[in-house]
Amino acid sequence: MTTLQLKNIVKRYKGQTVLDLSLDVADGERLVLFGPSGAGKTVLLRLVAGVIDPDEGRVLIGGEDMTDVDAEHRGVGMAFQNFALFPHMSAFDNIASALTARRFSKEAIAAGVEKVARLLKIDHVLSHHPKALSNGQKQRTALARALVGSPPLLLLDDPLRNVDAKLRFEMRLELPRLLAAQGATVIYVTQDYKEAMALGDRIAVMFEGQLRQIGTPADIYDTPAELEIARLFGDPTINLLDVVPQRGPDGAFAELSGVRLRLPGFGPEIVGRACVLGVRPENITFTEASAVGAIPVTVEAETPLNEKTVTLTLTARRREILVSRPAGMPGPQAGPAHLAVNSRATLLFDKGSGRLMRPSEPASKRNGEAA
Amino acid sequence: MTDIALLLKDVDKFYGPIDYGVHAVKKLSMDVRKGEIIALLGSSGCGKTSTLRMIAGFEAVSRGRISLGGREIQTFPPVRRNVAMAFEGYSLYPPLTVRENIAFALKASKLSQSTVDEKVASIARLLEIEDILGRYPSSISGGQQQRASLGRALIRDASLHLLDEPMGQLEPQLRAVLRGRIKHYIKERGLTAILVTHDQTEANALADRIAVMEGGVLQQFDTPQRIKERPANLFTGTFVGEPPMNVFEASVNASESRLAFGLKEGIRLEYAASDFSHAVRDALRKRQRVVLGVRPYAVKRSADGVTGRVAVNQWLGDQTHIAADFAGGTLVLVEHDRARLEVGQPIGIRLEPASLHVFDGESGDAISHGEELA
Amino acid sequence: MEAMSPLERVLRGIALTLVVVFFMFPIVWIFLMSFQTNETILRIPPSIVFTPTLDNYAALITGKLQTAAGTLDIAFMRNLGNSVFLSVVSVAVALALGVPAAYAFARHKFRGSEDIAFTLLSFRFAPPLLVLLPLTQYFQWLGLSNTYFGLIWVYQLICLPLILWIVRGYFEDISADVEYAYRIAGHSWFSTFRKIALPLAGPGIAAAGLLAFIFAWNNFVFALVLASADKQPVTVGALAFVTASGIQYGQIAAAIVLSITPTLALALYAQRYLVEGLSLGAVKG
Repeated sequence: MTTLQLKNIVKRYKGQTVLDLSLDVADGERLVLFGPSGAGKTVLLRLVAGVIDPDEGRVLIGGEDMTDVDAEHRGVGMAFQNFALFPHMSAFDNIASALTARRFSKEAIAAGVEKVARLLKIDHVLSHHPKALSNGQKQRTALARALVGSPPLLLLDDPLRNVDAKLRFEMRLELPRLLAAQGATVIYVTQDYKEAMALGDRIAVMFEGQLRQIGTPADIYDTPAELEIARLFGDPTINLLDVVPQRGPDGAFAELSGVRLRLPGFGPEIVGRACVLGVRPENITFTEASAVGAIPVTVEAETPLNEKTVTLTLTARRREILVSRPAGMPGPQAGPAHLAVNSRATLLFDKGSGRLMRPSEPASKRNGEAA
Repeated sequence: MTDIALLLKDVDKFYGPIDYGVHAVKKLSMDVRKGEIIALLGSSGCGKTSTLRMIAGFEAVSRGRISLGGREIQTFPPVRRNVAMAFEGYSLYPPLTVRENIAFALKASKLSQSTVDEKVASIARLLEIEDILGRYPSSISGGQQQRASLGRALIRDASLHLLDEPMGQLEPQLRAVLRGRIKHYIKERGLTAILVTHDQTEANALADRIAVMEGGVLQQFDTPQRIKERPANLFTGTFVGEPPMNVFEASVNASESRLAFGLKEGIRLEYAASDFSHAVRDALRKRQRVVLGVRPYAVKRSADGVTGRVAVNQWLGDQTHIAADFAGGTLVLVEHDRARLEVGQPIGIRLEPASLHVFDGESGDAISHGEELA
Repeated sequence: MEAMSPLERVLRGIALTLVVVFFMFPIVWIFLMSFQTNETILRIPPSIVFTPTLDNYAALITGKLQTAAGTLDIAFMRNLGNSVFLSVVSVAVALALGVPAAYAFARHKFRGSEDIAFTLLSFRFAPPLLVLLPLTQYFQWLGLSNTYFGLIWVYQLICLPLILWIVRGYFEDISADVEYAYRIAGHSWFSTFRKIALPLAGPGIAAAGLLAFIFAWNNFVFALVLASADKQPVTVGALAFVTASGIQYGQIAAAIVLSITPTLALALYAQRYLVEGLSLGAVKG
């Protein structure tokens, strides 16, 4: 275990800034870096590993300044998205490569490799070359190579990207146990929000080389700091509807198809502002026409999505609203229906800046805040 | 029948000499109706791409017949088959811009320039590549190349559209959006399409029927719902479904009034015989060993059920994935609320008879499916 | 493969035969000539029926050439030895210099690296005669003309660019991640180069080495100008057969057969590497 600090790191390629951030990772923490491709996640990992150098800023591992230390002396372990196995070496030699540099005895190396191979269930294919391994075995070999030296800092660059859905799911359940047994500080890169939520103590969301939000999985899912973040978490994606809040007798409200939807906690400060209302599909249910606040819609289509059923509905103004429910629960008939929105689970974003607006906090003050 | 667009009859594919080479596709028969979207689903090496390439004419058919629109085409060269294909490896013409690449597919159609422009613009809008129409393939990303290649295939007016892993390079969010749009596009024009994919979410979302393949053999060819609810065998049952189906080997102990399954570590699942139909009871009596399958979201917690131990508890925002050590393996449960469970804590599990899939212990063929009993 | 109709099969067979005949005929002809005397070669009309003789080979190996004007000494075996020595050493030197340079060009993009790499390649474009005149002057001044050292130096103009460009393409094709992985596992850049980059670029290096060997072996102009009889390779040595009393076709043919045999054997042996290496170099270069 160790800590990692990135202080004012800047990296440019051909005059373009691809990374500009500071980041602190605690001892033994599992931090997930999440963001679309091109966000700079892989660049960040490489900077930490030491195979590329930052243009500005310092990299501290365990409190020690490692910025000018070569990759082979940083003592980190890394698994690559494309596995990056050595094609001319057997699985055994691939894994052992992380030990040979330290001049261990032959027996110690063999014992170390065997142990991690058993843990990852690849002990029966150690003599195979990468070409003869299945995708899942390749991925496990790459992981074993990163783990074998028990590095205090582990960098995992989307290690499950290139394996099939079933293996990915199995590894998602297996990895927490494996990593906990290692006791390493872990930085894990992924583009899959489920993986991020399942594996991270905290998630750092990156866009365009910048850190946009960092917090626990629940924080980010429940209170995404920006529209773009809200859109990336959740399957099916969050419903986003343009609204202009109005003044009501008990606080602000938004109007959807002529129905008033309360915006709890918001006062007059947001009235008349262009906003985007975000409601996750699982926070909308079908209800009776007579229910208070029922929004009239037409049911367009239903699609099964894994363990859920997703219904596409259209409002009178042909705005799309997705509703999801656990598979097996009875759904609505095609045609007219009514929706109930759980108003406590709604999110309100400023349309201009895309930033989340928090209740009982003057909007003007938030605008002054630095990014 | 006139509504059959494509018919494969006992198609074999050997790489190398017939009967001695690698047998990639084994006696495959299937029919595709006009206007239908079919997904060939399987892991790499299952024969799905070989099948697609035989239909397109890039691979010779070793044995069997393929007819398209009533004509046998297995000896025709690709150009005479009137089939459009989007390749996994993009395969755009490098000296042409994206716009020219897409429009190229319409060269033979003698449409007016304005009609071509309009069609290209509309498909580009659909695939969100309007901003790169003027660029060359070498200067755009893999995902953009893939969408351009898809556009080139979809814009054609062919009797069959073949899509080979058309969205593998795209980001998840974009993939989710495009799935819906592409399905709508295909349906609106009444096109017939065959999609090759290893991604079951894609197959489920796009296809009217899914052909699950493994080891060159067609395992099941049915609607997504029926494949999920009534998997024909253990392979289909565990391959399709996310998270995957839980499976446990079990011995059968059937008496007049009781039916019991013995799992590893001494776990016994007891049911009243009346929970199962006569036919199933008869089938089970003849067997000693079966494999039980339960979908993760059909597993219920219950204090008086059999016990496992919580190994992983993952909250994904709208659902909890719980993995429990159970009967010498792992049992996965999905719940729709946040589960307050600590790792290491014992957990009571109830497997309802209606949720059980029973497979033959040797052949893996399905014996019964829970839903039909409920 | 598409299924072929019988007609297609026949046409394809004819086309292939024509191509083979076109390319193989001169080689077969030379081979036959090498077993004939000058008289049978020059008779009119020519015929492929003759009594084979080993005289041509005997003359080459003993170094005694019988002509109408008497016996001539020729140094063919020495020339052959020179060819082997010059080509092998040149390629070895070019590999030792070129492979690390290729790695540097592939992995470290610095300001002007492309220009330097291209300049090196441009040596291949310049007509050798253009380079030769000043080179002769320098070499005489430096005392390098008519030395093996000087010839090997000049041969680098042939070998080095070839190796540099082909091998560089190969190095560029190795995923940087694979090398990063080895570095992160705790190995220095040099051991990464030795244990990862070199073995993975092996086929490319072999192909480039072979090709460089063939080019060096076939070189004529540099050796003609810069070497005298005892340092000359076979390509230049074959000139000795053009004697005052006529051209010794039989011996020339035998000399050609002997001199192309090593390169031909090498090329056949390494055909696979060559094609792979060259097409890759061509695409990537």
